[in-house]
Amino acid sequence: MTTHRLAFSKVDTAKFISHLDLMRTFQRAFLRAGLAIKHTEGFNPHAFVSIPLPLSVGYSSACEVLECQLLGEVDLDTVPERLNAVLPEGILVHRCYEAQRPVKELCFVNYIVTLEYESGAPFGVDTDIQELLGRESLVVRKRSKKAKSGFTEVDLIPLIARTSIEERRDVVCLDLVLRAQNPGLNPELILNAIREELPEAAPDFVTFHRRAVLDDSFQIWE
Amino acid sequence: MNRTLEHILPRVQKPARYTGGEYNAVMKDRSQVDIRVALCFPDTYEIGMSNLGIRILYGVMNEMDRVWCERVFAPWGDMEAEMRREGIPLYGLESGDSIADFDVIGFSLGYEMSYTNVLNMLDLAGLPLRSEDRDGLSPLVIAGGTCAFNPEPLAPFIDIFSLGEGEDVTVELIELCRKAKEECWTKEELLIAAAQIPGLYVPSLYEVEYKEDGTIASITPTHGAPAVVTKRIVQDLDKAYFPTKTIVPSTEIVHDRVMLEVFRGCIRGCRFCQAGYAYRPVRCKKPETLVKQGIESCQNSGYQEMTLSSLSTSDYRRLLDLCDGLQEWCDPNGVSLSLPSLRADNFSWSLMERLQHGRKSGLTFAPEAGTQRLRDVINKNVTEEDILNFCRTAFAGGWSTVKLYFMLGLPTETDEDVLGIADLADKVYRVWREVTPNRARGVKITVSTAFFVPKPHTAFQWEGQITREEYERRVKLLREHMRGRSTVYHWHEADTSVLEAVLARGDRRLADLLECVWHKGAKLDTWNEYFSYDRWVEAMEECGIDPAFYACRQRDKDEILPWSITSTGVSPRFLWRERERAYEGVITPDCRQQCTGCGADKLYPNGVCDAEC
Repeated sequence: MTTHRLAFSKVDTAKFISHLDLMRTFQRAFLRAGLAIKHTEGFNPHAFVSIPLPLSVGYSSACEVLECQLLGEVDLDTVPERLNAVLPEGILVHRCYEAQRPVKELCFVNYIVTLEYESGAPFGVDTDIQELLGRESLVVRKRSKKAKSGFTEVDLIPLIARTSIEERRDVVCLDLVLRAQNPGLNPELILNAIREELPEAAPDFVTFHRRAVLDDSFQIWE
Repeated sequence: MNRTLEHILPRVQKPARYTGGEYNAVMKDRSQVDIRVALCFPDTYEIGMSNLGIRILYGVMNEMDRVWCERVFAPWGDMEAEMRREGIPLYGLESGDSIADFDVIGFSLGYEMSYTNVLNMLDLAGLPLRSEDRDGLSPLVIAGGTCAFNPEPLAPFIDIFSLGEGEDVTVELIELCRKAKEECWTKEELLIAAAQIPGLYVPSLYEVEYKEDGTIASITPTHGAPAVVTKRIVQDLDKAYFPTKTIVPSTEIVHDRVMLEVFRGCIRGCRFCQAGYAYRPVRCKKPETLVKQGIESCQNSGYQEMTLSSLSTSDYRRLLDLCDGLQEWCDPNGVSLSLPSLRADNFSWSLMERLQHGRKSGLTFAPEAGTQRLRDVINKNVTEEDILNFCRTAFAGGWSTVKLYFMLGLPTETDEDVLGIADLADKVYRVWREVTPNRARGVKITVSTAFFVPKPHTAFQWEGQITREEYERRVKLLREHMRGRSTVYHWHEADTSVLEAVLARGDRRLADLLECVWHKGAKLDTWNEYFSYDRWVEAMEECGIDPAFYACRQRDKDEILPWSITSTGVSPRFLWRERERAYEGVITPDCRQQCTGCGADKLYPNGVCDAEC
């Protein structure tokens, strides 16, 4: 049976919809759009959808992926329009296609992390951060459900594939390519490291944006 | 989205409650509207969005030309702290605009413990709490809902109360506001004109005087306001607006499903029940209307669950037709249908089996009292035999979880009645032993007791609530007599029930208490995380208010009750007669067997209660 994928973006108010709520939102949207998809079995059958790389609440994204199985004869080109008509504000489906490559080939995520400073970016912050992320190793503590202490240590450096930093008047933009899975790296941890190691570079506010999902040769994965 | 808001949302729990942007939320162009309405529910988003009344009024107002109605809920404590710190006033979810600049701010009052949220929300909006301190024509602060049937504790804060069903009167009031705005009336002119619209109560137009003993000496209307304001009702529910294209929240809410309102009112006449009296007369929708609305609601929302809503669903005459009609569509479309509010005495098992599709979820029902004598006093009209037969069929059919709801502190209750609850639970257990096909699986019987709160506009509106000590004694007595490992006993803490009893039958002097306790930090009082009984006790002491005067005092027949300026259509004479019959232990037949002349039929011309549909 063919698996279908939706490529969609999640911005503005929709940034604050959590992963589980987003799945529910899509399940209902398919029904509103009159698109039949495969259901789970059991006492409470519900539309089966899955999102391979859950996005943290508050992050925006231009490259989300949802998997489902559309039933019956459907012209895939009409799916984005049909869904967009019934989705909440801030979620926009760009494309619906048959899945070819397996999810495990999704290796990297490109994030744009914007550090905002109310009174202007401190001088030299960009080079400081560049240096920090260029170290041989950068071990941070991370919450863990498995570890008894509730925390575990993780070295960020092997999980960072590319870094490019640009400083503007009151913002610093980090263009990061991070490992996506097994294990993946949440850019929040990089922020924590900056706050810890470079207190003077700690921003007043941060936004996280997922720009692209990539394969192991840094080409767009879909 | 507002930039400051965007900065604070990542720091609060469940931020999707504060963003708007849900599917079917109504967006309008500010330049194309001339009346802006904030429809406020004084509790969190999850609770407020589960309220059908809010959804109906939202739809009704947004269908109006040049009117934009937006939703507003009480923020959770973390969000409130952020809003106050960043100087973000309370805003409408649709536009994000501050509601202080709106024309009308309307509150839905469903329970007394939400009153502090009303004050807190007015304050978060940056508005003075008291009506007299808000001079301008706008925003006009109005309130409706069940609690509006005793509006007095909130009277000094609210400009206009709307009694009864809001579908029609809300439109009339908004048109009046529009006229007032166009013609530059003063607020007083608007209030005096509003008092002439049936169903609208303008508290500032009434003078209340008190006797030395604290009871009311007189309530005097001024400026031509009516002596009694009678509630409004919708006559033909088949023709009334029903929101089939309603907002689908992007985050989980309490009742996250299609709610299909089957009928309003209730044919029973349980003497303690405010809803049973206040929503009279019974008016139902045709099954054909309901099937159409149910299907449309599912298609427009994508919900896969639907629940039938009413005060007593098994009293709907054509329930089988309705369920057949709905199931014909629901089954092939994977939508499950649930029926709450069933009675043990007229319950159809074949229907239950069909709806459950082999699932055996728990069964819940409310005998309310432990002995037949006391059930007759409250006119519950369910016999022990009904209850046991109901359980027998359920257990034989494979059900193994039953919840039984009771009240403690009902008028005339004795220890024998209290122990009757334990007896009944025991009999239910024995029935299970006798008929269950699978003893090894065990049974779970949950008994819950609430602390009876006498409510306005009921046959027990004159009664005193038993004291907290007495209630706790009865809980202890029952707990000691509850037998068996299969029975679990839960009881309500007394604190909120005592306060509810004070506020439910309070007068205008309680406004000072509400303001005082709010100043001390009271808000979100229905939530354990925030509720503090000590805070209320302190405030009562400071304001010189004796809770026993409001909660425990037995009223005389002739006492002027604070809510006597409002009428549900049911006459106080009828309620007093019901009270007397309660003390005689005489039951009153339901409206379908015989009309007992409550007066609610006079609410519409040629009114016929409970007409065939």
